Amino acid sequence: MTERFTIFVVDDDESVRRALGNLLESVGFEVQLFGSTEQFRGVELPNNPSCLILDVRFPGANGLDFQQSLHQAGIHIPIIFITAHGDVPMASRALRAGAIEFLMKPFQKGELLAAIEQALERDRVRRSQHEELSILQVRFAELTSREREVLGLVVSGLTNKEIGNRLGISEVTTKMHRGQVMRKMNAFSLAELVRMSDKLSSANSR
Amino acid sequence: MSPPSPSTGSLATATPAPGSETDSRAGLHLPRFGALWAKAIDYGTAALLVILALLASLGIQHLFDFPYPFLFLFFGAVMVSAWIGGMGAGLFAVLLSTLSVDYFFVPPFYSWQISTTAETYFVAFVLCALVASWISSAKKRSEQALQEARDQLEIKVSERTAALMQTQADLARLSRALSMGELTASIAHEISQPLTAVVTNGDACIQWLSANPPNLEKARQSTEKIVQDGTRAGAVVARIRALFKKEEPVKDWVNVNETIEELVEFLRHEASSRQISIRTQLIPTLPLVNVDRVQLQQVVLNLVMNAMDALDDAVGKKREIVIRSTTSGGNEILVSVEDCGPGLNPDTIDKIFDPFFTTKPQGIGVGLSISRSIIESHEGRLWSSPNPNGGAIFQFTLPIGRQELR
Repeated sequence: MTERFTIFVVDDDESVRRALGNLLESVGFEVQLFGSTEQFRGVELPNNPSCLILDVRFPGANGLDFQQSLHQAGIHIPIIFITAHGDVPMASRALRAGAIEFLMKPFQKGELLAAIEQALERDRVRRSQHEELSILQVRFAELTSREREVLGLVVSGLTNKEIGNRLGISEVTTKMHRGQVMRKMNAFSLAELVRMSDKLSSANSR
Repeated sequence: MSPPSPSTGSLATATPAPGSETDSRAGLHLPRFGALWAKAIDYGTAALLVILALLASLGIQHLFDFPYPFLFLFFGAVMVSAWIGGMGAGLFAVLLSTLSVDYFFVPPFYSWQISTTAETYFVAFVLCALVASWISSAKKRSEQALQEARDQLEIKVSERTAALMQTQADLARLSRALSMGELTASIAHEISQPLTAVVTNGDACIQWLSANPPNLEKARQSTEKIVQDGTRAGAVVARIRALFKKEEPVKDWVNVNETIEELVEFLRHEASSRQISIRTQLIPTLPLVNVDRVQLQQVVLNLVMNAMDALDDAVGKKREIVIRSTTSGGNEILVSVEDCGPGLNPDTIDKIFDPFFTTKPQGIGVGLSISRSIIESHEGRLWSSPNPNGGAIFQFTLPIGRQELR
């Protein structure tokens, strides 16, 4: 494996936890084991694709609630749930909240590894999307407020003349602002600029 | 004449053998010989008693020289004969007494004749003897009928008791099965955990062996873990079986603290999934008690499951159950289960121990009544009271056995 992958395992049962560590290590993953969700919250997540294998049931806490609290904290690590006694409502709640898989103990190695592969792939995509978005956000931050206004009107399909009229500036000045926007956003065409704007606005609305 | 009460007393203890012979004669079940033999004994006894009465009366007559013949001992012989042998033997004794009195005591003496002056006296004697015989045998008959009725009643009572015990045992089993049903998730969890570890370590072991070159050290470690986890799974199964499999009540000297700890260990997952903690405060010097361990566990299980259900109904309360054990009054142990739930409803508090009374939507209402009957069958008490910190306390006592007092 050329890329580094980190698998986090959170299970209060020591023998299960260590067995998972053993298996994942044997297939070449980097593994970190935790006995409780609190311990896991204390750890800094790495910059490479990773995923979390989480037991549903904990003394005094619930894996599903923990999933929600991670989500609210803006931590989007993909989660694979494992449980010794799941039921359908539990599984459907977990999957609706974005879990990759809901595995019943004892599970097959193939099921687990397939789920991990899917989780890491999703994390990789999310990371690259996130990276692209943060670049766009940095570029957007460099625009002046006038340039942002022009960008908004350009992508809504208005001509330079219409924009000038709307903002009370000359067509030449509008053209100059528009050139600056294209340059700062590193966009080569109007279509690309529209796509960038869409991404930014969807990220903001989230 | 001998005082009647001691003689009847001693005879009463001697009666059962001939009495039962009388019964079988009525049923004609015994061989003819047995019946004849029993009759012979009855009549022989009557004859013997009359002879004894005669000898005693003659002795008294000669020693004390009464002005009238002393004949009361014959009545005694008649009554006793009628008591032992029934009407027939009684009449036989009357006949023998009449002859003896006629021959020895009625003038002219030592002859079978009766003088006219003694006639009235003699007739009075015969009538008295007949009445005595009749009263005695009638009394005997009613006594026997009473005894029979009493025996039958006893048989009925023991039959009913056995039926009730059976019903109670069935209900206890049912309630145990229901508790088991409620605990299925916990049991599945208990078994699945080590099993998962076994399967996962097995997969890892294969992986280490198929690496190039094979990592034998890691493979060995994996196999060791498989053995450990397999052993653990076996222990879990053994514990569950010990908890619930046995059905016949067997009393034994039981360490109540250990029994409670085992159960709490068993309920740990059930409690944690409901976000409830179970705390124990058990005094280490608790004496052993002579009880059925499974039944005791069932009682504590019922009380803890009730407490958990109570906490499920409570919002914003401390989600904790406390189980305490202590001694009380020097001759019993006291176990209490406390929760901080909504507490007992004053409207229904009197009914909670009634069979089939329940406040739970899915309950059938046998838990507490079974628990109480189990504790009472061990000569203990089970009752409830409000928890000063809110919620309810259920507690029971069990007597400390004599072996422990020694």
